[in-house]
Amino acid sequence: MKKTILIPTDFCIESLNVLKQALLLDTNKELTVVLLSGQLLSDSIVDLMFYSRRKIINSLLKPSFNDAISILKNRFTTNLVDVRIELFHGLNKNAFKNFISAHKIEECYVAKHYVLKKTGNTLDVIDYIRKCNLPVYEMDWLLTQGTSEFDQLETLIS
Amino acid sequence: MKSQFKIALIFFAGTLSIILLLSISVYYFSSRYSFTDFYKRLEVRAVLAAKSQLESEEEKASAFKEMREKHLEKLTGERDYFFKINSKSNLINSAKQLEVPVQFFEEIANRGNATLKKGDLFFSGINYKGLKGNYIIIVSATNDYDTQHLLHLRNIFIIALPLTSLLALAISFLFSKRIFKLIKKITDNVKEISSENMHLRLEKTPADNDEMGELITTFNNMLDRLETSFETQNNFISNASHELSTPLTAIIGEAEVTLSKDRTSKEYTEALHIVLNEAERLDKITKSLLFLAQTGFDGKKQKMELLRADELLWDTKKTIDKMNPANQLQIDMNMVPENPEKMSINGNAQLLHLALANILSNACKYSSNKPVKVSLATTDSDVVIIVKDSGIGIPEEELKYIYDPFFRASNTRNFEGYGIGLPLSRNIIRLHKGSLEVSSTVNNGVTVQVRFPRSN
Repeated sequence: MKKTILIPTDFCIESLNVLKQALLLDTNKELTVVLLSGQLLSDSIVDLMFYSRRKIINSLLKPSFNDAISILKNRFTTNLVDVRIELFHGLNKNAFKNFISAHKIEECYVAKHYVLKKTGNTLDVIDYIRKCNLPVYEMDWLLTQGTSEFDQLETLIS
Repeated sequence: MKSQFKIALIFFAGTLSIILLLSISVYYFSSRYSFTDFYKRLEVRAVLAAKSQLESEEEKASAFKEMREKHLEKLTGERDYFFKINSKSNLINSAKQLEVPVQFFEEIANRGNATLKKGDLFFSGINYKGLKGNYIIIVSATNDYDTQHLLHLRNIFIIALPLTSLLALAISFLFSKRIFKLIKKITDNVKEISSENMHLRLEKTPADNDEMGELITTFNNMLDRLETSFETQNNFISNASHELSTPLTAIIGEAEVTLSKDRTSKEYTEALHIVLNEAERLDKITKSLLFLAQTGFDGKKQKMELLRADELLWDTKKTIDKMNPANQLQIDMNMVPENPEKMSINGNAQLLHLALANILSNACKYSSNKPVKVSLATTDSDVVIIVKDSGIGIPEEELKYIYDPFFRASNTRNFEGYGIGLPLSRNIIRLHKGSLEVSSTVNNGVTVQVRFPRSN
């Protein structure tokens, strides 16, 4: 069964555990995954003129995060069709509903205990996800003790 | 100091050519100006002569004459010539009379004025059309004044040129000497540093914030690195000799004690057992040292073949099980790729086996056989193996020394070992273009991440 799901991310390897758990949950699905990060847009008109989605994503993305995604892709070759990274810049519920319908998202997966890390421009999308009338599944795993990427990767692949 | 001389010469040649160019152009342009200026003066005299001689009104003519006599300086050899021009033949006759080319007269007749130089004599003529008819007036004079001026200028240059060249030569030598003084200082300083006083560094004054400062910093950085590797080398030798001498001392001591008096055969057997044990230990150390040396350089090409990382791990686990039956190694295959081909790596099975066995047995040993988790996964480019134990860990400030041969962390006193395993593993992994990373905190276990490039 083909499905498009949405997972909020903070570009930390730890947050990919939601995706891992979602994939382990049901092995008969073919998932297209949208990793979503809410980002506040700059107020400066010059910044808006030179807006580039790719540039913002590249500034947030670390090579180790890409590595972790590729580990999941290799592990779940049949179940994981595609992983996309998208940005959400909206400020209200309707904007989020538009985003959901534009990307044809059917289900949302969020972490039960893990709290997404926030930087200066981060927009909290969890509230929108809970209010958008789509089924929301909460995933849980044994959180990593250490803070290093090393330990996070170890949690993900064990 | 050959290049110092060269730089001085180049600098001198440049300065000299500038001086020469400047003096030549000054001389040339001032002489040209003096000619045109002299012709102008002659022409003014010619006009005044014409006005004073050929003006119809007497009063005006005398005024012009007075003006010329009172206000204009008499030139050397100044002479006026008046020619009444009626026809072409008249021109030729006049030219003959003055012994100048007829073209000069023709030019005056056509253009209204002309100039000519004959030897030292300068001619300037004008065409004057007055009431008394058509006249050509020519004034001639020698240019004594300007010739003297130019002569003077030439003399100045003849004296000044050698003087300035000498000055330029001196400056260029000073200049190049100053540049090379700094380099000479650095050379002298570096000469003082030898293997006995590796701690010495080049002095850097705040004024050396330029290229020379950069050179000094580069030198100092290089010395830092050299000193570190020197120390490592020294440590290695002292550590190695210590490790080798311990079993030897035991063997010698045991043999001496046994030989001091007659023993029963049982006592001899016991002593020989101890000697054998120590000799075996000695053998192990020297063998692993030899291996370390062999893997340390890339000179000998190892035989590489296609291997599967998961098989390698299982094989290694078998070895560990034999060596240490109480181990609790858990190989976690949750994240291995669906396509097993993605786990293949290029490598030498024996060497990789040795490297992994070292890492895994370390994990078991230092966690006193608590569970050790080994996970395997593949990214787009690498095969990743992560080994996590919950043992004694490595103190953070000692993490940077763990790859030094014979180094043992301060909290490992209760565990047996020589400190050769990890450096050997790292050498092997480097040989396979892989990477080995270790992260740890005390009492919280060690996480080791090994990566090998995937072969595809």
